[in-house]
Amino acid sequence: MRDDEDRLPTPLANALPMLRELPELRAEWRADVLREAASPVPVRRVSLSVPWAIAAGLVCAMAGGGAALLATRDRVSATAMASTQAAASVTLPVRFAVVAPKAGQVSIVGDFNHWNPTTLPMRRSADGRTWEVEVRLPVGRYSYAFLIDGSLALDPTAPRGSGDDFGEPNSVLMVRGS
Amino acid sequence: MRLAPWTVVLSAILNGAVGAQAAPRERISPATQVTLDRLIDSARVAGLPTTPLVDKVAEGTLKGADDERIVRAVRTLVRELGSARAALGPSADAAVLGAAASALHAGVSESDLQHMARAGGDAPRAALASALVTLVDLVAKQVTVASATHAIDDLLNHRANEGQFAALRADVGRDIAAGRSPEQSLVSRTTAQLRALDPASLDVMPRRPPADP
Repeated sequence: MRDDEDRLPTPLANALPMLRELPELRAEWRADVLREAASPVPVRRVSLSVPWAIAAGLVCAMAGGGAALLATRDRVSATAMASTQAAASVTLPVRFAVVAPKAGQVSIVGDFNHWNPTTLPMRRSADGRTWEVEVRLPVGRYSYAFLIDGSLALDPTAPRGSGDDFGEPNSVLMVRGS
Repeated sequence: MRLAPWTVVLSAILNGAVGAQAAPRERISPATQVTLDRLIDSARVAGLPTTPLVDKVAEGTLKGADDERIVRAVRTLVRELGSARAALGPSADAAVLGAAASALHAGVSESDLQHMARAGGDAPRAALASALVTLVDLVAKQVTVASATHAIDDLLNHRANEGQFAALRADVGRDIAAGRSPEQSLVSRTTAQLRALDPASLDVMPRRPPADP
């Protein structure tokens, strides 16, 4: 007898050996269980009259056609979106440079950094005259400008955009994949 | 209240712009933000790219534009993107749409835009985008819209590529810097490009733009 069984009431302690015995598994019980497991699941059959069958068929055909149309449109939209997302995930190095020998602080602002003058400061190159920065950009079209000591300046090497929205034109950059 | 994604981006942009600018700027008012949200949402529903609209707000903020001017610029861009979409079809990507919207803003008509898109034919969309960027650049260099449109249309018809459009921009820019008239430069440079594209034809000449009224 185990130590913890000393604390049990006597009738329960006396019944424990019997409770520990596993019941005998009768052969006919085992055979019944195996037979039920092996038998096929009965199929519930539904029968429709001909008109109802035709109506059901038309509804299914229309639903299928609508689903196909939606799937096609969604596939086109998904393809365009996937292509846009794929293009956005590929970045290409772009080097910006501007000659500003007398400038004290130069940065670049544009669509690629939400026109924030602090996120892309440019570094003065070894020649002391040129400011440059290299950024990686997804394929696309960007408007931008240089910010030289607080004043916006166009990139003389880039095409100009139609920038009369706010009185100052921008330069335009097209980043294209190979 | 669930915020639209561009609202979060717009707020981040404005917070960043206000904190970083050298000169003091006033924030866009909450009422203007609501107006901008509605404009951007309507563009999204119409299937137009919304990033250029958010960028336009950021640009206006940096340049010190007042709320009314920013709203007007965004509203105009929504309209131009919609026209560009109508002219170029659903397959035009955001970059081509942006270039087309810029061309419309520069004064190109929708019908001319459609014509250029057809002239490009099976050429890569990159060529059309480059063509439109070149057109806008030429107009910015004081070439008339009609002259620029005709030149670009001719080059697209002859399957000019991105490099040729870039060369045209550079050549016209150099000519103007040397004192030449933008219109004269465009005619001569376009002629040279067309002859290079179609050397078999000795009579290749750019179509003359219509005379000014």
